[in-house]
Amino acid sequence: MYVVGNILHQTMAYPAAVNCSGAARRILLLPTTTTRPATRSFPRRLSAVTSRPITTLPSTPRTKSKSTPKTQPPTTPPPQPLQTRRTYHSTTHPPPPSPFTQAETTLLTTALTSHIHTHGFTLPSLTLAARDLSLLDISPSFLGPSPVARLIHFHLYTTRTTLPSLASQHSDLLSGLSVSEKFELLTWLRLKQNEPIIQHWQQALAVMAQPSQVPVAVRELAMLADEIYYLAGDKSVDPSWYTKRAALSGIYAAAELFMTTDKSEGFQETRRFLRRRLQEAEELGGAVRSVGEWVGFTASAGVNLLRSKGVRI
Amino acid sequence: MAAAARPALKRALPSLRSSTFLPHQQQPHCHHHVPTSRRSLSTTPSHRNDAQPTNPSDKETHFGFSTVTTSQKRALVASVFTSVADSYDKMNDLMSFGWHRIWKDHFVSTLNPGFSPLSSTSPTSPQHILDIAGGTGDIAFRLLHHAHTVNSNPNVKVTISDINRAMLSVGKSRSAALPASQQAALSFVEANAEDLRKTRPLTPILSQTEQTFFDPATATSGLEDDSVDLYTVAFGIRNFSDIPAALAEAYRVLKPGGVFACLEFSKADKHPLFNSVYKEWSFRAIPLIGQLVAGDRDSYQYLVESIERFPRQEEFRDLIKGAGFRVSGDGGWEDLTGGVAAIHRGMKPRE
Repeated sequence: MYVVGNILHQTMAYPAAVNCSGAARRILLLPTTTTRPATRSFPRRLSAVTSRPITTLPSTPRTKSKSTPKTQPPTTPPPQPLQTRRTYHSTTHPPPPSPFTQAETTLLTTALTSHIHTHGFTLPSLTLAARDLSLLDISPSFLGPSPVARLIHFHLYTTRTTLPSLASQHSDLLSGLSVSEKFELLTWLRLKQNEPIIQHWQQALAVMAQPSQVPVAVRELAMLADEIYYLAGDKSVDPSWYTKRAALSGIYAAAELFMTTDKSEGFQETRRFLRRRLQEAEELGGAVRSVGEWVGFTASAGVNLLRSKGVRI
Repeated sequence: MAAAARPALKRALPSLRSSTFLPHQQQPHCHHHVPTSRRSLSTTPSHRNDAQPTNPSDKETHFGFSTVTTSQKRALVASVFTSVADSYDKMNDLMSFGWHRIWKDHFVSTLNPGFSPLSSTSPTSPQHILDIAGGTGDIAFRLLHHAHTVNSNPNVKVTISDINRAMLSVGKSRSAALPASQQAALSFVEANAEDLRKTRPLTPILSQTEQTFFDPATATSGLEDDSVDLYTVAFGIRNFSDIPAALAEAYRVLKPGGVFACLEFSKADKHPLFNSVYKEWSFRAIPLIGQLVAGDRDSYQYLVESIERFPRQEEFRDLIKGAGFRVSGDGGWEDLTGGVAAIHRGMKPRE
């Protein structure tokens, strides 16, 4: 239907767009194409930001908002929600289904709200939650090979999915800020979500650093970086799409680790740390851009110099 | 044609004759249809329909690549496991390079039986574990060790159930090596997993001609509803004639919150190269090892065929969900060794 027509259209226009499908794009939520800065090939969710001020971010998932960029060719049919699995982010599609079933959500929510503070991310938290729900001590083992990792994943998932509503609560702070200031604030809001469980977070990080849990942890981190950039209104469609998210992932992970040992009032040291890292990333990005510019200029000047000497290039 | 090469089935014949529910009981000459229909080198269709199911209540099911009735399958599976009971452990080691021990250890340690949170007020809570098709005690002994030694919870009891007395007898004699406290926590019952209302304690096999598979008519007791904390079945459910019926029974005997856990061979076709090596090994080497070591090619031919027939991970997960169990959102199963085996877990919800 819509997707097929869309892909056909893109295939004719930019064959590269359909070639970069596959697992990598599913995990990293890459844009449809990264080479052509034409509006057609914008990641749909990013282009949607232009038509919607950040102050009116919905607290509910982005399911119903219809956003057709004005620059879209008229041949494209109007967007319709599809139930099929999509390989790119879109505001016109329902959000992906939760990776947790109802039975799991009940048990994990009880553990998170009632027992994490005393027992941390451990099996006793889950067992006590099962007792609260008049289940059995053995019940948490249905969560899979590592119930504790599942609990930590659930915390990562719920904090990430509540970030949009958190952003809309702070819309007064966010309005009028530049993109880089916005994502500094959003990253800070996400870090603050770890505050209630911060004394147990080192333990959780250790669990998620185990080889069997690394894929889950990395995917969650990538999706979080993408979420923050989306909410901040970033619109890049060049290779910096990747580098920005990679840089933010690294900075976020470092700040999260820093926060676990931060004893300052209101975690002000963590916030300063975060700002320093973001500043450095910006400076580094600027330096890389300058070097690139210099190399490009020198190379073309060199070629022109050789041409002026009669070399056929 | 195949009679000379079928030692397992010749041994099975006495059991078939003494069966009370086999449809061919009144027609002795029909026994020979069972072996010919079963074996036919698995792929020859001309022999497929030789069996004459006469009992209308008998549903058709699979025995390896052959189609038989459910009661025939029960008898045939019994004959297979009677013939392999003594060499079972040796064969498992040879077939899986000892890796089945890793799977079983992982299966038991992830279930974590006997775990109770430390607290000053509540003592360790008792648990009743039912190990279905657990004949030789491989899983049950590990469960007991984990609960009693690792989790220091002596209030965990394990019931080992099997349809086959020969397998149970092997487990019973092996259990003599366990500490007395663990032996006291073990019990052996004969039962058909598709109807756990009818059980009887393990009775010793006195003569060679006695039938070794459980006859429901001789039942003396049964398992009650909502009486089990953890239901385990390892490398057993594949052999059941009626898997949905067994799942429904599991759901019945489990308490609300109880966990169903199944370790079973599965499909490794996510990794085509590995899968082709694995298929070569299982279809060529395993029957040969069976012939050389256990002197019984047919039983191991059946083993690899039944693995091939068993539903895929997703289909089996859906069967478990269909029985009413709740599964986790990461698929509901865990692949071991690329999917050669898989662990499915489910929880009976509190309504």
